[in-house]
Amino acid sequence: MSRRSRRFVIALALAAAAAAIALASPEAFAQSGRNPFAIAGGESAGAASGFAGLVLSWQNKFHQELQAAAKALKTSPEAFWTLAGASLFYGVFHAAGPGHGKAVLASYMIASRAALGRGMALAALAALLQGAVAIALVGAAAIVFGATATQMKWAAANIELASYAAIAVLGASLVWKKGAAFLAAAHTPPLPRASTVFCCEAVGDPAHIHSDACGHFHIPDAAALESGFSWGDALGTIVAAGLRPCSGAILILVFTLAQGRFLTGVAAVLLMSAGTAATTGALAAAAVYARETARRFSSPESRRAKLAGAGAQLLAAVAVLILGLALLVGSAPGGGA
Amino acid sequence: MWLGLVRGADAHPHVWVAVRSEVAFGPDGKILGVRHAWEFDEMYSAFAVQGLGKNGKPPTREELAPLAKTNVESLAEFEFFTFAKQGGSKLKFKEPVDVTLESDDKKIVTLRFLLPLETPVPAQKPFSFQVYDPTYFVSFGFEKQNPVTLSKAPAGCSVSTMEPKPLAADENKKLSEAFFQNFSPGADFGVKLATRVIVACP
Repeated sequence: MSRRSRRFVIALALAAAAAAIALASPEAFAQSGRNPFAIAGGESAGAASGFAGLVLSWQNKFHQELQAAAKALKTSPEAFWTLAGASLFYGVFHAAGPGHGKAVLASYMIASRAALGRGMALAALAALLQGAVAIALVGAAAIVFGATATQMKWAAANIELASYAAIAVLGASLVWKKGAAFLAAAHTPPLPRASTVFCCEAVGDPAHIHSDACGHFHIPDAAALESGFSWGDALGTIVAAGLRPCSGAILILVFTLAQGRFLTGVAAVLLMSAGTAATTGALAAAAVYARETARRFSSPESRRAKLAGAGAQLLAAVAVLILGLALLVGSAPGGGA
Repeated sequence: MWLGLVRGADAHPHVWVAVRSEVAFGPDGKILGVRHAWEFDEMYSAFAVQGLGKNGKPPTREELAPLAKTNVESLAEFEFFTFAKQGGSKLKFKEPVDVTLESDDKKIVTLRFLLPLETPVPAQKPFSFQVYDPTYFVSFGFEKQNPVTLSKAPAGCSVSTMEPKPLAADENKKLSEAFFQNFSPGADFGVKLATRVIVACP
């Protein structure tokens, strides 16, 4: 095994371990307990430290600014601009915490070979869906049906359940595909030693034609390993990451509705989505960058590198499935710690 | 790389509560429990009264009862957000009683309930409690004026509150090293930001 491919395997193993740890962290599963005053389910998590602590204090600041600006709307229309700014930054910092949406998106980016642009698009669409669901929920429930807080909580809990089911389905679909790709890679016979086979072909020939009997040998199922973008999975990722509305958005919408300024609330929530898209887009970019860095170290022909690559993708897929199932079990009626 | 982003704190308050508490004593001078009045912020209040109340009037207690019920049902799992101690050992509470949720003229809602101790404790040893949400989804803060009162306490009993050290970055203050040290690994925001109430009797 060459030095390059060893580094590649180590880098991929690290990326896979990172995905596993991120998903298995207590925060990811801490959602089972439903906070008595939660609006759209348990978004809360426990301890914070270092950078996270700083993010937390910013989130807190922007949430309070949001509330103050929404309140000020009653008397001064120009408070809208403060509200707009606070909404945007609230979206940016709110998305900087952990959460199943980000875990799903990042794992999907590792598990699939989706390119940077696609990752950004997925992040943007997931963020937009999250805002749209909040607007639709409050719009339909509160304005059309005059729903009460209890009924809205019930509706939000069901949307949440659906989003967890979507994560599990996405995970299962990825495991199915990545499992097949991994098995294909595992069944590929090892490279024959170049020295054991006499190779008559011209080395350095740009046309590069040779038979399978030649020691220089391409991984046959490269297509299965390299493919990975499917619109079905991409749509599943958007739904899984973005279906659950955020409490902050619901609160702002109900609050502005109570003041007869629902459309202002809608604008604020769309700006929150833009802010969230910026952060989750950066996360998707980081996942792509990590993956591509790992690939750069690889010798493309190394069988072990291919196997490790397929293994890392499978691991990320398994992590999505486990996350979905754990969240489903945790939020099922009577479930949870 | 993105591990640092994914882990950490999603926790930040979505709901603010101004707390006023009353420590209830029995005829035998023992501490029976804590009676809470939790006043919610304007946004959560707007959420709570949504769809309730007629002709723009604030909703009645009866109208708010279903929400009070769902709120209180999940309180046990969170230890009622009330953490009491005596002589270094933790005290347990029973299910809340006298639960009401009411709205004032400005449509600000207040949740009231009595939280009885599983076994009443003698008041001669200092009794203390804190109100906080360990997950920091809800930010609890005591009212500035008369945050805690005593009900039917024996003569000479007193109550005092200990404010937490300021944690959040003051806008005028520069981010200092101390600020980061406060967020040491495993730091629990809820408890770090919680006021401690201490009741002492002769």
